[in-house]
Amino acid sequence: MHISRELELSRRAFLRRSSQLAAMGAASSYALGLAGIGEAAAFSSSGGYKALVCVFLYGGNDHGNTLIPFDPTNYARYAAIRGGIDDQGGGIALPRSSLASTVLMPAGGQTVTDDITYALAPTMPRLKARFDQGSMAPILNVGPLLAPMTRAEYDNRSVPRPPKLFSHNDQQSTWQSSQPEGSQTGWGGRMGDLAQSSNTNAMFTAINATGNAVFLSGEQALPYQVSSSGAVLFRPLERGRLFRSGAATSALETILTTGSGNILAADYATINDRSIKFGSFVNDALENAAISTDFGDGNRLADQLKAVAGMIAARGSLGVTRQVFMVSMGGFDNHDGLIGRHEGLLAELDFALDAFYQATIELGVADQVTTFTASDFGRTLASNGDGSDHGWGGHHFVLGGSVNGGRFYGRAPHVSVDTPDQVGRGRLLPTTSVDEYSSTLALWFGVSPSDLPSIAPNIGRFASSDVGFLRSSTMHT
Amino acid sequence: MSEGYEPWLNREMRQANDFSAQQYFEARGFDQVDDNRFFNGTSTGDYMIWSQLLSGGSAVRKRFALALSEFFVVSLNDINLSWRGPAIGEYWDILNRNAFGSFRALIEEITLNPAMGVYLNTRGNRRADPRRGRVPDENFGREIMQLFSIGLFELNQDGSPRLNSGELIETYTNDDVTEIAKVFTGYDLDYSQTTFTPDPGNPSRTIASVDHVRRPMTADPSKWSRSLNDGFHATEEKQFLGLTIPAGTSAEESLRLALDHLVDHPNVGPFFARQMIQRLVTSNPSPGYISRVAAVFANNGRGQRGDLGSVFKAILLDEEALDPAKVADPSFGKLREPMLRFVQLARTFGVRSESGNFEVRNLSNPANQLGQSPLRSPSVFNFFRPGYFPTGSQSAANNLLAPEFQLVNETSVAGYVNFLERAVDTSAWFLRDLSLRYSAELPLAHDAAGLVEHLDLVLTANQLSASVKDTILSALEDIPVEQNSPDTDKLRRIHAGVVLVMASTDYLVQK
Repeated sequence: MHISRELELSRRAFLRRSSQLAAMGAASSYALGLAGIGEAAAFSSSGGYKALVCVFLYGGNDHGNTLIPFDPTNYARYAAIRGGIDDQGGGIALPRSSLASTVLMPAGGQTVTDDITYALAPTMPRLKARFDQGSMAPILNVGPLLAPMTRAEYDNRSVPRPPKLFSHNDQQSTWQSSQPEGSQTGWGGRMGDLAQSSNTNAMFTAINATGNAVFLSGEQALPYQVSSSGAVLFRPLERGRLFRSGAATSALETILTTGSGNILAADYATINDRSIKFGSFVNDALENAAISTDFGDGNRLADQLKAVAGMIAARGSLGVTRQVFMVSMGGFDNHDGLIGRHEGLLAELDFALDAFYQATIELGVADQVTTFTASDFGRTLASNGDGSDHGWGGHHFVLGGSVNGGRFYGRAPHVSVDTPDQVGRGRLLPTTSVDEYSSTLALWFGVSPSDLPSIAPNIGRFASSDVGFLRSSTMHT
Repeated sequence: MSEGYEPWLNREMRQANDFSAQQYFEARGFDQVDDNRFFNGTSTGDYMIWSQLLSGGSAVRKRFALALSEFFVVSLNDINLSWRGPAIGEYWDILNRNAFGSFRALIEEITLNPAMGVYLNTRGNRRADPRRGRVPDENFGREIMQLFSIGLFELNQDGSPRLNSGELIETYTNDDVTEIAKVFTGYDLDYSQTTFTPDPGNPSRTIASVDHVRRPMTADPSKWSRSLNDGFHATEEKQFLGLTIPAGTSAEESLRLALDHLVDHPNVGPFFARQMIQRLVTSNPSPGYISRVAAVFANNGRGQRGDLGSVFKAILLDEEALDPAKVADPSFGKLREPMLRFVQLARTFGVRSESGNFEVRNLSNPANQLGQSPLRSPSVFNFFRPGYFPTGSQSAANNLLAPEFQLVNETSVAGYVNFLERAVDTSAWFLRDLSLRYSAELPLAHDAAGLVEHLDLVLTANQLSASVKDTILSALEDIPVEQNSPDTDKLRRIHAGVVLVMASTDYLVQK
């Protein structure tokens, strides 16, 4: 199978558009307040403000203990595979009784594979409530694919596999950018490329509240980093004094923004410059945009999401109508000690996502903000004793006022380590591709169908670019 | 430097670590069971590594050990056992002892080290148990191939990928992972000489003495904490990377065969050489540079493969590392890691620890601390990836890698300057155990030009550009200091000078 030529062509058209933006200085438009140079056909900013928030679960989430079969038949299969004894748990199986209060009953009596009834992990009561209210939906067995693939095609390699499956860094990159490590742009950044012309200040299109990652890098859009407490300012510059000397402060500012002929030095100076230029502006905007929602204390994901909520609250002062955010939490690579640690992580996730959704309600933008999870990969259903190993597909969540929630999307895998929907030890062969997931989000965000290949390069090989979990996906018209 | 680099380097390399981590824990009593309950936390691990890096001799050995700690990564953030400080201390000692020894011996020692054992789950890993659906843990088996030896793709000796009809060639499949995982089954901590003391904080519980986190893990079940007659090593046939280990082979022999096979793989030389050059000299070594170092890895000239002393000498004494013209090459050099900047600051200006313990903790927070802390990588993939580059940058446009830039963003650059401001006078609360003497600088302080020249030499090897030097000089002249001024005034000028030099990109990029 060959990579289609038309993708290459659409890529080139896209690059051309990007360089037009560059020629007009879009990447450094902060000072100019540059606005509205986009192609109206390429991107719609109608419908007011919109934001996408990527919540990356680093390490590879154990989807098997995140969304657990609860009906007796499928629970028994789950327990047998994960080393549990009857309904009591054990091994890496959660006890069945612990799941009773987080069972998800889809509205309208939706049935899935083998009539599985799913429960959320017992530490996720808030997302269970959001599911019941219709603002949360699980998307089943999502993962990177170059094209739809059966188990036979996986085995005989008649359909290409995404490279470097099961490798943390490469699958993080593949989820974020469609390519393994070394990739230049991610789909969050590429949406930023299309969206930044809608924003007065292009700099605040792609906002990163966690460590550097390729997801938010576009051809033009650059991630702007904020800490959990907003922008970090250079204190000597703010104070106007370095060791009580104003002259030393001026010297510091000069030096920070001076790159020598060395390329690395020039790059460092550029980031210093960006940090100096935008920091106070951001913090002034945040100061006038208070939020009363409780984000708790000591939940690091909630802290990041609080900063995101702050940026959304300050959207008017920041001059933005479209934004893409990234936050993350780590600790999901539980080869050992899965039981205990994993439920704790999910409790943090549950609290943080719920608080963030509550904040969007407070800000009156719940319908305009969609939050979604991503992770390196799913994990094996099989147990290695007290943990699970690297897998491929996994279950994910979307949350927001525009989510057609309270039901499942995608195809539920059998609870099995030997059916053709997995490739061994219960490593799921994805049935919904990351491209389908990202396209659905992109259409809602305002990307035109013709531009989808620039976001999701493999989307042309899948039957639909809209999985259906968001309302008004076709708002771009 | 009349003697030349090599004799100096030879002398440095012969020096053992004169005060090992184990000696540190013993001297400080941090390995005793007492009311401090040191067995419980991680802070003594941070104190230990800062003490190692900020003080003591054998700095060259330690510099290489630190580079190795970013290749064979274990992180204090995630080693779940008691005595985490001494456990990571033993890991550090292994890296020091073997820094100029054999790669093969080193990889075996780190494989069996308890800190690595809990970090990547070899400890307690068992053979398959079909009745319970249990299969061997794949974590160490995967990462020893991907990160610690051969990498994902077949390489030429110059580090470039080998291609098959234009395609990369994967070094292993997931079946290889599943198979090699069996090699790392059956090991657990060695309690054969361990004694037990009641926990002062909880008398119903006893605390095992520290030795069990130092001794290599063992496949002999009679030495485990709950001693058994039969172990858990997978004794079925193991097949990976073209090697077959016959059924019935013992754990020890399986390990020996597996590690021999991995270390003999032609990828190891270029894979390891490129990353060590990146850690020590430049982010973008030429193919020739990698090739020359990889050749020394393959054969040190005396027929030995994987002689790390020869490899490190080849890295530092290579023509590309020593060529003075490279200083002006815009694509040469590397961003200094934040932890190295702090170590340089402290060692250059005569750091002292009030307690003698070097009580500095985890400095990983980029917003209000250093943004990096030794032996505190966020994952086994190190603080940054060897192939990282900042997108939308000049580096990217020039196809250059810049691994350390994975730590650089709007938050961390401001955080670094704020850290620096409170580190030069050790006024930050988290540096309160330290002081800097500036004994060589105080006599120069009244002479602003002389001070700038001196700081340029000791911090950047005279690589400040003329304009940056002028800028710093005029700033320092604005802080009035006379020969008879009090030390507080002199220190103010020195502190400002050090901040300005260390904030400059001429300093930040090591060339």
